Amino acid sequence: MSRAKLAIQGLLLFLPAFIVIFGFIFFPVGYSLWLSLTNKHAIFPHYDFVGLGNYVGLAHEQEYWWSFWRGVIFSVGSIFFQVLLGLLAALLLNEAFFGRGFVRGIALFPYMLPTIVVILIWKWLLSASYGPVNYLFQALGLIQAPVVWLGEHWLMASTIFVAVWQFFPFVVISLLARLQTIDLQLYEAAAIDGANAWRRFLHVTLPELRYVLFVVILLRTFFMFTKFDVPWLMATGGGLQLLVQNLPVYAFRRTFRFMLAGEGAAVSVSLFLLLIVLSVIYFRSYRREAET
Amino acid sequence: MNLRRVSYTGVLYLCSAALVIFCGVPLLWMLFTSLKPPQDLFAYPPRIFGRYTLANFQRLMSDTDFLTYLKNSIVVAGITVLLDIVVATFGAYSLTRFRYPGKDTLANITLFTYMFAPIMIIIPVYVLLKELNLTNSHLGIILAYTSISLPFTLWLLRAFFLSLPIELEQAAFVDGANRFQSLVHVVVPQALPGVIATSVFAFVVVWNDYLFARVLLNDRLLQTMPVGLQDIYESTIVDWGLLMSGAVIVTIPAIIFFLIVQRFLIQGWGMGAVKG
Repeated sequence: MSRAKLAIQGLLLFLPAFIVIFGFIFFPVGYSLWLSLTNKHAIFPHYDFVGLGNYVGLAHEQEYWWSFWRGVIFSVGSIFFQVLLGLLAALLLNEAFFGRGFVRGIALFPYMLPTIVVILIWKWLLSASYGPVNYLFQALGLIQAPVVWLGEHWLMASTIFVAVWQFFPFVVISLLARLQTIDLQLYEAAAIDGANAWRRFLHVTLPELRYVLFVVILLRTFFMFTKFDVPWLMATGGGLQLLVQNLPVYAFRRTFRFMLAGEGAAVSVSLFLLLIVLSVIYFRSYRREAET
Repeated sequence: MNLRRVSYTGVLYLCSAALVIFCGVPLLWMLFTSLKPPQDLFAYPPRIFGRYTLANFQRLMSDTDFLTYLKNSIVVAGITVLLDIVVATFGAYSLTRFRYPGKDTLANITLFTYMFAPIMIIIPVYVLLKELNLTNSHLGIILAYTSISLPFTLWLLRAFFLSLPIELEQAAFVDGANRFQSLVHVVVPQALPGVIATSVFAFVVVWNDYLFARVLLNDRLLQTMPVGLQDIYESTIVDWGLLMSGAVIVTIPAIIFFLIVQRFLIQGWGMGAVKG
């Protein structure tokens, strides 16, 4: 078969995927950019071009910046603890012991649960008057009276906690895969040099994990900053939505509650641009550090 | 065995126990709650032993539209995965076994779409589907789900096809097979574990989604399970027995799928396997 004919066959095989990726992803994303420059209503078809009006409006909007900072607290808090807990769990699960497979299975499981199930379980566990967590903490003497975990003082902390519980297995999965490929001779050599467990971790394990940690934090940053369902579902029914309202929730409310699709699109585009800038800075600083 | 060794093992098991409790007990609590008679739910201190019943599950089936939600979820996720896998298999085969200009660019663009979060895509997709009159229909949401899951199914299958030895295919060509026959009879059977794992990941993404279903479907009887469950939560005085029995049913496929793909997760071929 001739080369050209093969190339055409190959392109034809890719065509359906191409249509889906461009028609249903790139085109909508481009359309979103366009929408963000208009005053499009979520339902009515007529709209006008408003230039950067939406963006200027948002920059002056208190609720935008409020949502921005709430999102930063939620994302940074949950990423930090996900990575910390994920790293500790991965180190543990990389050791050889009887029953390791079982522990691995259980530890990875929260990640597979639908978010709605995670949220409902924890709303029940954390509920104020009959909640098992309050009972346990009181029994242990950690708290005197039941704490309203889903009330205004604790809602953000609880939301971060639930996100950590659901997503730390992602970090475990990623790090475990890398840990298993570390050359054991490196540890032997370090042990011969008299390095204790802590120093072996610091000088062998951590440098080997560097790149995968870099990627994991980057991915988690993208996922947590754009997370909609966890903050949205944690706050429903309580009237405390604003306390855990990040930019995705704000974009959702603008678009589908206030029906301002143009403004909503501008919120989501601004979030995306922010993440792009953030990841460029992150890449640069990683590269600079890797070179030294 | 010396003391050091014993204490090392002790610490390992202590930490493991803590991890198992941390991750496992909430799940057990869900299960116990679903099996308790309503009057026992608010027993304080909470109890584990005592009477258990399937009454909550019966009420879930008879008093709510849960079965409809479940059926919708299965239909939508099933069709999406089927569509997804066919398109992704062709695409991945093309990317790994053919040579044409722009191939690497296509692969990279596919990866790039990872960065587009659902919240970015949902707003324009809603507006576009509205114009096409496809909101509030399963067809519209299946198209939307296919688009959000295709990039990573394609990327995963590509990684998997790349890892297959090419000799068998060459032998098939010598025997006179064409490309299509080779794909169906040689590549896919070899890649079957990968195809299954990829399908499972795609299924889980669709099965778990809340945002798209909330936005694209209005009719309660078209709704899928996550939104349905949330609506049950919001519409009644919070009835934890009922809600947890729904949560248990929804979790069962997750458990089954988890058992299927656990091996792949640990091997970690391609971190792209997981999203969200």
